[in-house]
Amino acid sequence: MPVKKFVVGCFDDEKTLFPAVKNTRKAGYKIHDLYTPFPIHGLDKAMGLRDTSLHTAGFIYAITGTTTALTFMSWVFTKDWPLNIGGKPHLPLPAFIPIVFELTVLCAAVGMVLTFCYLCQLAPFVKKDHFHLRATDDLMVMPIEITDKTNADEVKAFLQNAGAVEVFEKEAETGWWIGRYDRDRKVFEKEEKTVIA
Amino acid sequence: MSLLKYESQVREPLVDGNKTYHQVTEDICGPVEAAPSRLWWIGFIISVALLLFGVVSIYKEVVYGTGMWNLNKTIGWGWDITNFVWWVGIGHAGTLISAILLLFRQGWRTGVNRAAEAMTIFAVMCAGQFPVWHMGRVWMAFFVFPYPNTRGPLWVNFNSPLLWDVFAISTYFTVSLLFWYSGLIPDLATLRDRAKKKWAKAFYGVTSFGWTGSTKHWQRHESLSLVLAGLSTPLVLSVHTIVSFDFATSVIPGWHTTIFPPYFVAGAIFSGFAMVQTLMLVTRKVMNLEDYITISHIENMNKVIVLTGSIVGCAYLTELFMAWYGASKYEYDIFFKYRIAGPYGWSYWLMMTCNVITPQLFWVKKLRRNIAFTFLMSVVVNIGMWFERFVIIVSSLYRDYLPSSWSVYYRPSIWEVGFYLGSFGLFFTCYFLFSKYFPVIAIAEIKHILKKSGESFKEAMDPLEEQSVDEFVHQAHAHH
Amino acid sequence: MVLKEQFEIPGGLKKWSYALMAVGVLTLILGVVYLHPFSGGHGEAHGAEAYGATKFWMALMHNSIFWLLVTAASFFFISATTLAQGGWQVAFRRVPEAISGSINILGPITLVILLGYVWLSPDHHIYHWKDVEHVKHDAKLTWKAGFLNPTFYTVLSIAAVGLWIWFRNWYRKNSIAEDLAGKADHSFYWKSLAISAAFLVTYGLTVMSTLPWMWLMSIDAHWFSTMYSWYTFASSWVSGISLMMLFVVFLKNKGYLELVSEEHIHDIGKFMFAFSVFWTYLWFSQYMLIWYSNQPEETEYFIDRIGAGGHGGPFKAIFLLNLIINFLAPLLILMRRGSKRNYTVVTLMAVIIIFGHWLDFYQMITPGPLKELGQESNSLSHFLYSLGISAGFLGLVIFLTAKYLTKASLLPKNHPLIKESIIHHT
Repeated sequence: MPVKKFVVGCFDDEKTLFPAVKNTRKAGYKIHDLYTPFPIHGLDKAMGLRDTSLHTAGFIYAITGTTTALTFMSWVFTKDWPLNIGGKPHLPLPAFIPIVFELTVLCAAVGMVLTFCYLCQLAPFVKKDHFHLRATDDLMVMPIEITDKTNADEVKAFLQNAGAVEVFEKEAETGWWIGRYDRDRKVFEKEEKTVIA
Repeated sequence: MSLLKYESQVREPLVDGNKTYHQVTEDICGPVEAAPSRLWWIGFIISVALLLFGVVSIYKEVVYGTGMWNLNKTIGWGWDITNFVWWVGIGHAGTLISAILLLFRQGWRTGVNRAAEAMTIFAVMCAGQFPVWHMGRVWMAFFVFPYPNTRGPLWVNFNSPLLWDVFAISTYFTVSLLFWYSGLIPDLATLRDRAKKKWAKAFYGVTSFGWTGSTKHWQRHESLSLVLAGLSTPLVLSVHTIVSFDFATSVIPGWHTTIFPPYFVAGAIFSGFAMVQTLMLVTRKVMNLEDYITISHIENMNKVIVLTGSIVGCAYLTELFMAWYGASKYEYDIFFKYRIAGPYGWSYWLMMTCNVITPQLFWVKKLRRNIAFTFLMSVVVNIGMWFERFVIIVSSLYRDYLPSSWSVYYRPSIWEVGFYLGSFGLFFTCYFLFSKYFPVIAIAEIKHILKKSGESFKEAMDPLEEQSVDEFVHQAHAHH
Repeated sequence: MVLKEQFEIPGGLKKWSYALMAVGVLTLILGVVYLHPFSGGHGEAHGAEAYGATKFWMALMHNSIFWLLVTAASFFFISATTLAQGGWQVAFRRVPEAISGSINILGPITLVILLGYVWLSPDHHIYHWKDVEHVKHDAKLTWKAGFLNPTFYTVLSIAAVGLWIWFRNWYRKNSIAEDLAGKADHSFYWKSLAISAAFLVTYGLTVMSTLPWMWLMSIDAHWFSTMYSWYTFASSWVSGISLMMLFVVFLKNKGYLELVSEEHIHDIGKFMFAFSVFWTYLWFSQYMLIWYSNQPEETEYFIDRIGAGGHGGPFKAIFLLNLIINFLAPLLILMRRGSKRNYTVVTLMAVIIIFGHWLDFYQMITPGPLKELGQESNSLSHFLYSLGISAGFLGLVIFLTAKYLTKASLLPKNHPLIKESIIHHT
């Protein structure tokens, strides 16, 4: 993953953040992302993000669980090894309901959490660059990507005007890598580059 | 949608004091980062000692067999299954607070949900021990799983409620764990970014999964939480329902009755909330979190306790009435000769007193807001709920259809009691570790509601409160 | 923006309510003339005539009990949300307040019907226990006579219905007084919490326990199920929410309730969804446990409905339909977020749910007496007769609700939670 250059604006209040996001987009700057210490409702809309379809995935996992449980138990009791249990019919639907339900929920929950982790690149030993350590404390951190066409100083001034309490430049890796937070970051690509150089 | 932050002044603040976002972080992370106190060590060591006693008790049982317990001819389920149901019941409050109260938008859940969820997981872990070790030949425990095996394609009995239990408890444990942990990730990231010590950086770095707080991730996180809450709501109902099926599908008088599923669920919530009260009252005091777990939180939980206690009471009376109304001799005898009277009659009346009669005192507002009284009641309720399971199990079993097998009075052996005490050891060991190394309050969720329900922010809402409805509507539209 | 606070009954609604009531009254008159409601009993009238009387009273009991419980459920909704200090419902709270007003009239009507049957009609196919001769030879009914007897029936019914009406009117009075008072006065609010708590206790002791045993379960007098009352409650509760949804959507369509948005509709939709699932949960628990343990004194109830051993019972179709429209339909249709915010879908679902639970009550009440009469199959004519009577009750509910809506402002503007309701967001 490439290392890019950013101008980072930090806000401490939602009241200034929302107009700032709106104006930044209007000005044509590219908001790389917005890191907040807690979920802020409406921010995704303000940034123009589309709705997540994670719940649809959940529904699909759920019906997978339902059908797996139903077909498996039916197969066991009618085809593979039919047993007479307390005179109940071989296909005792009411008795299947509890397990069918549990598997539905299990598949939906496990599937969704895994999908969530995959989409957000979350896993143990995953390490990412963080723009500001207080992004998980009390600051809303908005890095703006600096390309050839944007002037960093102009962006800085713009963010300061927009009410940012802190503005600075930073180079950061945009992807993730396997690493530990108690060690200094070692980006593989950087290492390779130094080898080549 | 309106971005106007407003909450009615008839509601008490959920966060007391003049807090900023940073102050919230400090207050909740502070105890985690500080060295463990002497009190913590004392509690922790006692818990570990109890746990070790439990290990010894189980060792005895495994080596010498279930004969080490005083189960007898008719009472094949005794303390073990009583404890199982009791712990599972306690393990319901966490998911209830997180899921059902989320769906019913009870804002006060944010203060207590994290600890309650953790408690849920530990309680389910304790519960799981009992049926497993009760198997006797525990090395055969994997027989409960439907896998192709060497005995020919002989599968497990999908008709058996005990098998349903296997699925229910394991699913419940997994889903609660996922729900709890997915909520913890952002808060662990907060601890990671504040960490000074090397081990803390490493530990919270690994456990926070590389969380950044990106808006897109928060959006997915919210969607995930909502769906998991939606799934957990019927799940939490289903778990104790299936536990109740263990009894209700049978044809044993006093066990087979159709009200069991919802009545067990209500009882589970009842005892779960009582246990949350017990833990939170201590936690808020020891960790100085009185601003986050306020008297108003405690009062709300007491309201849930009186509500569910009354539902349980309604079910007790329904059962008793139907035992008469049903005109079935066996049903009548169990209830009127062997349950409310007879050698175990004392346990029935203890149950009635603790679960139905004394919680009615919570109708009095003063008592609902009295910490010492609440603590006492939370213990009383849990004693009562333990006896509910004891009454159901033992009083239905000790007089079976064959009078010659009517057993001697059932008293648990020391190893049975030791096993139970050991489960307390496991529970509190886990809880002490959790409260020391994890944030006991959901930091991000408190910040989310801070500007709506925080005390100083609410004081600033006075002008909104004064407005007429028309003015208010106008202002709300202006904030689009 | 000027908010429309005063409801005026649209001509169309008035006409519809009159027409429905006319159908009901006509059905009733036809019944009085052709079904001989006061014949039956011992000695005289057998066959068609005796059947007529049973049919007549059955239809009246089915509909009066159903509609009374459904309208009372909207007061349960108010009490429950008030006590939980829910803010979101305040913007449309006058609607369930008005619906619950119907119990002022429906309550006495139901009492007249039930007590009329118990004391005046010689027919005893619905409640065997009121037949003194029969009870003498029936050990179980003799055993139960302490509970199942006309005197206790009368006392409990009057007390229960009287208390609901009293609590409802007290709450309403307090609610309207709040409108007229100065806005800083929260005493009305705290008082409403106390009334709600007291009502919920009453409700628990009546609808969630004693009353359904007496009114409905005693039709199958030998049979018993501890779940029965909670099940009945769930059925009436989800229908009550659906009825509320219908009136809210109607008022919105007519341009009232400007402060109610999709967000509120969404939340009522959630209630419809959640409590449909809850009803199914209770249904399953009751059915599965009886099916599983398979004891004759319990299974007879389901055998009367769906039959056993390959012989279909007379109510098999209705029994299955009941599950489809009360469980599958709400589950699949209301699961999506979009459908809970779509006025057409929620209206349709509300109608389906109310009809579904009406059908549920039908299959709870009818099979027992029909078996008693030796009827092998479910009678279409009886179904239609019951539907006709139902039209009358529905018309009455619409008429009364509309009337109560005009009696107070649609906006409880001094309620301390009204502003929370305005900015409510799901």
